[in-house]
Amino acid sequence: MSYTFTILSPTDTPLFTHEFGTSRSGGDGIARFTTAERAQNPFILHSALDIVEEAQWGQSTTATSAPMYLKHIDKYQNNFISCWITGGNVRFLLLTRPRDEALGLGSGGSGGGGARGSLAGGRAGLAGGAGLYSPTSPATEEAVKNFFVDVYEAWLKTIMNPFFHVGNGEVVKSPVFRARVAAAAKKYL
Amino acid sequence: MTPPQDATPKPPKYPADLQASMILPKQRASPASSLASLPYRRSNPSLHKLFESTTSISGSRPSSGTATPTASVVPGSVFSPGARQNGTGTPSTLPPGVSDEHRTLIQRAFVPHVSVLADAETEEMIRGKGLEGGLLQLLRPFGETVPGKVTIRDSIGASKSHEDFGIRFVNPNDGLGLPSQAGSGPTLHIDTANGQRDSARISSSSVRPRKVGGDVAQIEELVDRHLQYSEFNTHDPVPDYLNQGEPAAQSDSSSSPFYTLYLRRLLSGLPTVPHETFSHPVASIIAVSSKNPNPTEEFRRLYARQRDGDLRLPQWIDNEYLRYYVLVHEEETGDVTKSSQQFDSMKRHFGLNCHLLRLKSQQCIVSDDDAVRLPTCEWMSASEELAEIQQRETTDDITDPTPYIPDSDVTAIRTFVRELVAQSVIPHMERHVALWNDQVLARRRGISGRFMSLSKRWTPFGSSRNSSSPAMGSSNSNYDSLQGFYRPDAPEALMRKLADYCFMLRDWKLSLSTYDILRSDFQNDKAWRHYAGAAEMAALSALMSTAPLSSKTRTENIDTLIEAASYSYTDRQRSAAPYYALRTLALGLELLRLRGSSAADDAARWAARALEIGLVGAIGSALFTERVSACYAVRTGIGSLHLGSRRRKAAFWAIMAAEAWFRLEKALQAEKCLDTALRLSGTRAESKEGGAVGLPFPQMQAFIDDLRQQILGLRLQMRGYDEEGDEEEVRQSLEVEEATETLDKSPRAHRKSLIGAAPPMVVGPLSPALERGDEKGHDRFE
Repeated sequence: MSYTFTILSPTDTPLFTHEFGTSRSGGDGIARFTTAERAQNPFILHSALDIVEEAQWGQSTTATSAPMYLKHIDKYQNNFISCWITGGNVRFLLLTRPRDEALGLGSGGSGGGGARGSLAGGRAGLAGGAGLYSPTSPATEEAVKNFFVDVYEAWLKTIMNPFFHVGNGEVVKSPVFRARVAAAAKKYL
Repeated sequence: MTPPQDATPKPPKYPADLQASMILPKQRASPASSLASLPYRRSNPSLHKLFESTTSISGSRPSSGTATPTASVVPGSVFSPGARQNGTGTPSTLPPGVSDEHRTLIQRAFVPHVSVLADAETEEMIRGKGLEGGLLQLLRPFGETVPGKVTIRDSIGASKSHEDFGIRFVNPNDGLGLPSQAGSGPTLHIDTANGQRDSARISSSSVRPRKVGGDVAQIEELVDRHLQYSEFNTHDPVPDYLNQGEPAAQSDSSSSPFYTLYLRRLLSGLPTVPHETFSHPVASIIAVSSKNPNPTEEFRRLYARQRDGDLRLPQWIDNEYLRYYVLVHEEETGDVTKSSQQFDSMKRHFGLNCHLLRLKSQQCIVSDDDAVRLPTCEWMSASEELAEIQQRETTDDITDPTPYIPDSDVTAIRTFVRELVAQSVIPHMERHVALWNDQVLARRRGISGRFMSLSKRWTPFGSSRNSSSPAMGSSNSNYDSLQGFYRPDAPEALMRKLADYCFMLRDWKLSLSTYDILRSDFQNDKAWRHYAGAAEMAALSALMSTAPLSSKTRTENIDTLIEAASYSYTDRQRSAAPYYALRTLALGLELLRLRGSSAADDAARWAARALEIGLVGAIGSALFTERVSACYAVRTGIGSLHLGSRRRKAAFWAIMAAEAWFRLEKALQAEKCLDTALRLSGTRAESKEGGAVGLPFPQMQAFIDDLRQQILGLRLQMRGYDEEGDEEEVRQSLEVEEATETLDKSPRAHRKSLIGAAPPMVVGPLSPALERGDEKGHDRFE
């Protein structure tokens, strides 16, 4: 399972990008994108913004107010995208590329995929195979949400820095922030 | 550098210094020499005419293909006062830039089929005119559009006129069965078994390729040929689709002519299969020459052969179709009084269903006064067109092999077709629709019909009269599950026929409700292929109808229908029919796209589905990727902020399409897609300084720049051969050098792919990282 996490400003400028792999179930936390996939990722994330804008103004699932966590919103081939939106219209996008086995594509099929799948992989997969990755399973949603909550906390602390002008589209360079994102990723994904 | 245009690329300037010019001519020479030996490079005028004619057909609705933002005045839109198809426009206002083209195409694809049978003398005479295919070849082009308006009365009695009605003249035995997947390839299907059965058979099918479509691989190959032709003839001063690559056409994201061609060939030559009756003959022409000593006897003989004899169609085709008798009179040698006498007696026998066709028998040449070129068939199948292209490529003959016929013949045939359609075929269909609606459908719809369909499942119903088919007795339904069809007199088969007739007569409402009933029946019988067919056509009828469609019904009904159809066509049982699944998805997406806004999302989803389950080959996937982009581009969003637009999605898919085209070495298409993408992203191609493009991600920018350079390289290689004299215009440019380096690396791969049918998938490095490495490696040249 490989992830790309990107923070986008309200004007679609990427402020922060982090690539990592799963740390669950013996994962080493290193992203396994092929070169072609890596080149595609920004395009996929950018195109998902259309759906974000749609979901952001759609009716909220909770009774009170629009949620910040928009859950899984978009999919391109085998790339699933989840979104968290902050009050300042800054978008957190997480692109998930499950391993082929977790999609039921690998030769091994769904047999071993479930056992080694990460928490975000979701045990309650589709009806077909037990280990299939499903972006809408509760376990996946919860794991991604926890990750986003942690990142959001770190983000708030970063933009409270008086020397950081998020409104100007300033790119986040803080190593502390990156470390915190990495820690959250390691913890939940 | 200026943004390169499709049709008129700026010739790059080459460095004047010695070292560079020593490198460049060498690499430019190699494509030139290889190109010269390619068969399709030969500028054969007859071949050109073939390609040109096909493309001019692509826009056969005079202006609906060129959907510029002013499309609302194009005929075919609802807004135009004198709309040619009155009342058939899509109800929701067409978004700007969207044309009705594909809806019309679909409408014209599903038309009644008329089989043609002629006696030996007629065939002999027409072959003497230089038409090898006999009467069928002569009639076929004229059936495609019936001259004048055709008025059709629908089931509730309202009549509507259509200008674009047509019929297909076919040899019914041509289209039998689905083409086998194994035989799909450059080799043509040669149907010797059928051809030897009888000498008086219409088309000499032993020499001609199959007239049946439904083979996706061949469609792809054909479109590939057209694409290659366009790539190599960019600079020919001829009017063809290349000249549509002007900036004006670029702003039209609605369709590329190649996609239209793909769709058209997908719908051409529908195979004759049990689960749909579109290609079953509605009528049959039996033609007998007046030279025959006893025409009446000959008519009887041919009729008997068609009914029970050797020309009998398979048992799942209803044999009770309309017979139309034609007496072919030969102007030069025939005796008019005798012929008209004969014809009068025919009229007494057959009523309206006969015609006296007066043709000239001598061969017509181009220089004759009233010579008219036999029109090209719009709706020939992919294999036929491929065969024709191959034939013209291999012959060195400069002259156009298309036969010419005298003007009087054209008039006679036009009159004949018009009379056939307006006086016989359509009334026949209307009558049957009314009859079946009363006797079969109403009974099935009523309370007793429901009970019957229920009880049918528990009691052995109808097994007594179906003694001829062995599987019938054991099963409780009318479905013969062993052989996979319903007998033509079973109520299900009649209802399917009724629905298909309604669809062909453009009575979408009745066809929708009938397909709906059929769907549940087929599901009960577990006739999955039939079920898929009914679901497909139900979805299409719902989308074709002019009634507004709420988004709720759309998501609830249409989506399930399309889903069910595509699923049942592909996944159920082992007999998958990917062609039909592709047809379902492609037509569904086109019609959904016309409905604009949120339906466009669904359209894009279906296109992506077709890509995902691998229904299309390399060319098709590039075309469909482009189409996804076009679907998203239709959605413009609300207000000045364009809320809910799919601009970025469209741009993304356009870039994917550009990459796909590049891998297929179709530089023109790739460039077009890339320009579309950049336009959609709201950035201009390149500013004057050669940079500063406002794409948000630096990686995206790098990717696009690389892609553009590689496309440029491909273009240079493609047209290297006609750059020889332009040395003075040569200008130093970094891009040019870089691009040519890429070419230098694999000239073999390029050349091979040009000759062979299958282009290699990956050419040159596409990743930014690799490309960077390249640049460094070749720095010594600068």
